[in-house]
Amino acid sequence: MAMTRREAFKKLAKGSLPILAAGCVSTALPEVAHAEEEKRAPKGALGLLYDATKCVGCKSCMVACSQANDLKPDTRIDGIHQAPPALNYFTKNIIKLYRTADGSDHSYFKQQCMHCIDPGCMNACMFGGLRKDEETGVVWWLGSKCVGCRYCEIACPFHIPAFQWDGFNPKIVKCELCREHIAKGAKQPGCTEVCPTQAVIYGKREDLLNEAKRRIAANPGKYYQQRVFGEHDAGGTQVLYLSRVGFDKIGLPDVGEESIPSGLKYSHAVYKWLALPVALYAGMVAFASKNFKQHSHHLVEDQKKTGLRPQL
Amino acid sequence: MTRWERSVPVYGVPVLTRGFWALLALIVVGLALTVVREVVGLGGLMSGMSDPFAWGLWKTFNVMVLTGLGSGGFAVGIAAWVFNNKKLHSVMRVALITSCLAYWTGLCMLGVDVGRPWNFYWVVMPWTWNLHSPLLEIAVCMSLYASVPLFLENLPPLFEYIIYEWPQWRGVAEFCEKAMAKVYPFIIGLAYILPIMHQSSLGALMILGGNRVNTLWQTPFLPLIYVWAAGFLGYNCVVLCLLLAKLAWKRDVDPEVMLELNKLTVWIVYAWTAFRFLDILFRGKFFHLFTDGYYSILFWTETALILGSAYVLSTEKGKKLGTMFLAHAVCALGGMIYRFSPTTLAFHAKDGATYFPSAIELIISLSFVSIAVLAYMVAVKKLAILPGSNEDWLKMAKYEEQVKLGIQLTGYVPVEH
Repeated sequence: MAMTRREAFKKLAKGSLPILAAGCVSTALPEVAHAEEEKRAPKGALGLLYDATKCVGCKSCMVACSQANDLKPDTRIDGIHQAPPALNYFTKNIIKLYRTADGSDHSYFKQQCMHCIDPGCMNACMFGGLRKDEETGVVWWLGSKCVGCRYCEIACPFHIPAFQWDGFNPKIVKCELCREHIAKGAKQPGCTEVCPTQAVIYGKREDLLNEAKRRIAANPGKYYQQRVFGEHDAGGTQVLYLSRVGFDKIGLPDVGEESIPSGLKYSHAVYKWLALPVALYAGMVAFASKNFKQHSHHLVEDQKKTGLRPQL
Repeated sequence: MTRWERSVPVYGVPVLTRGFWALLALIVVGLALTVVREVVGLGGLMSGMSDPFAWGLWKTFNVMVLTGLGSGGFAVGIAAWVFNNKKLHSVMRVALITSCLAYWTGLCMLGVDVGRPWNFYWVVMPWTWNLHSPLLEIAVCMSLYASVPLFLENLPPLFEYIIYEWPQWRGVAEFCEKAMAKVYPFIIGLAYILPIMHQSSLGALMILGGNRVNTLWQTPFLPLIYVWAAGFLGYNCVVLCLLLAKLAWKRDVDPEVMLELNKLTVWIVYAWTAFRFLDILFRGKFFHLFTDGYYSILFWTETALILGSAYVLSTEKGKKLGTMFLAHAVCALGGMIYRFSPTTLAFHAKDGATYFPSAIELIISLSFVSIAVLAYMVAVKKLAILPGSNEDWLKMAKYEEQVKLGIQLTGYVPVEH
């Protein structure tokens, strides 16, 4: 039987559908098995090492941070600046105190952006308003690409990005490792520059990690779990922590070793090359076309019977 | 017993009712407050949101919950067109208009919620997209869906209106109708794949929330469970609209179609619930069902509302319209709570921070819902959307011809094609 070109094309399309679908699944599945390749820190990755056992809680790093970043005092409530209770859009860096009720145990701790190797905030951001410097790995905010959706606040396991809740032109405020301050000629970030006890130091992540491990080896039993927080946590961070008390006590949640974005690996596999959605679309159109033809036929029949105009 | 054969406008009732003015007043107040919000920002009295609880009612309710409720367009559509369930064609127009209104008001609400909406123009420049972001997927897919396939699907009633009411434009409308019929399968294919994609991405959003979302909700299958819930929510919404039409305007009900809708709702709910339990079981979180205090109670509340009402629908009692209405309402409530949970109810924010919407936030949220309700009320009175019998159509035509004597009317009844 002769076949028109149209029919031949149709048959070809129908026949190839299951093959296409199978192809998608088979290409997608190994992807899941391999997961997405673990992200590594850039070669020149910069970071901080904060040793909570050395911190005396003087908060001079908070003042230095505000100066280096030109942050205004937070005078929202009564016109008087007071110590901020948490990171907010006036505060990129904060020192807090953990203390048990009976005073038997305490530790100061510092909070600022962890500069994750595979940041959740960056993965969440729609148009790349949050980006990671290719050389230094510093995570920074680009206002012209930010829609203000605040998904970064949901996606950050350390609760770092702060949204400016006032005004018509809000910004996302977080530690950017003083990248502008350093670009202007400073040797190091405000916080490390002024720290009187060297509790927080600045440098390449590699060197800082070695230094942290050296301290652990030199002081057996001093540090919690004998490990550096940030070496592997959340897929690795560029800001590293040493502590005597539990990490969970000083604002570092147990987030596991997988990075936040890796939670989406299954979803990404489904969307690989858009193949599955396209196959699904083609399948649905094929069935819908057949049923639509049938339905249109019924509509015409009905019109003959009732004399009423058919409705789609 | 009536059979639904075609869509018939609601006739003989005024459009400008007391309800209309009340909704309009709420909308005006809400829009005025929206202007204030754009100037002063989101803080203070404007919203209950904070850094630990960065997403409030506008995203979690107006977008995540209400577009779920407005999923009838694709949930009923797939059953009707892909699985060839012929009974459901009669209710498609109701499903489509609820979807259209839910999506458009949701998208507008999103524009109010975000802090820097002017930067949204990047959405038309694909090379700036971060393809890893679930929110990007939603932003692109949802706006594409609402502005192309869903919009086109809702045009036929408008064409019909033009054909009957504005005879001078009849030729154009008929031409458009025919053109649409040629590509219709391709449009509806798009109208089903896009919502499947973005409704599941709404679930994927909270995967990045990590362990702040309680483990009973947080799963790699969150996207699938989310889009699945949109499935039965869509059916709930369509059934509720149909039954409300009976209540408000004495529209007859086709029991056969209603039972078909019930049956599908019940099966979607059963399968959904089973999948949820299996997921929890296989992730080894079985004991969390009983030991997580508030979260366990929340989980069982959702399950009881959804599963209980589906069970009632499957029994003989569920065939009575009153019970049917209640069951679907309760099922929708349960489903809405589920869609609300990962972002809000089952989300333990930093330092135990809590969220409660401020009065202004609530008013703006409700005013955007009111826009949808108002538009729906006007649409069903002006356009042929709610299903009826051929007889209803003839009665309506007679009535209109009597009332609109002064208007140049081609007559509703026999229009040659």
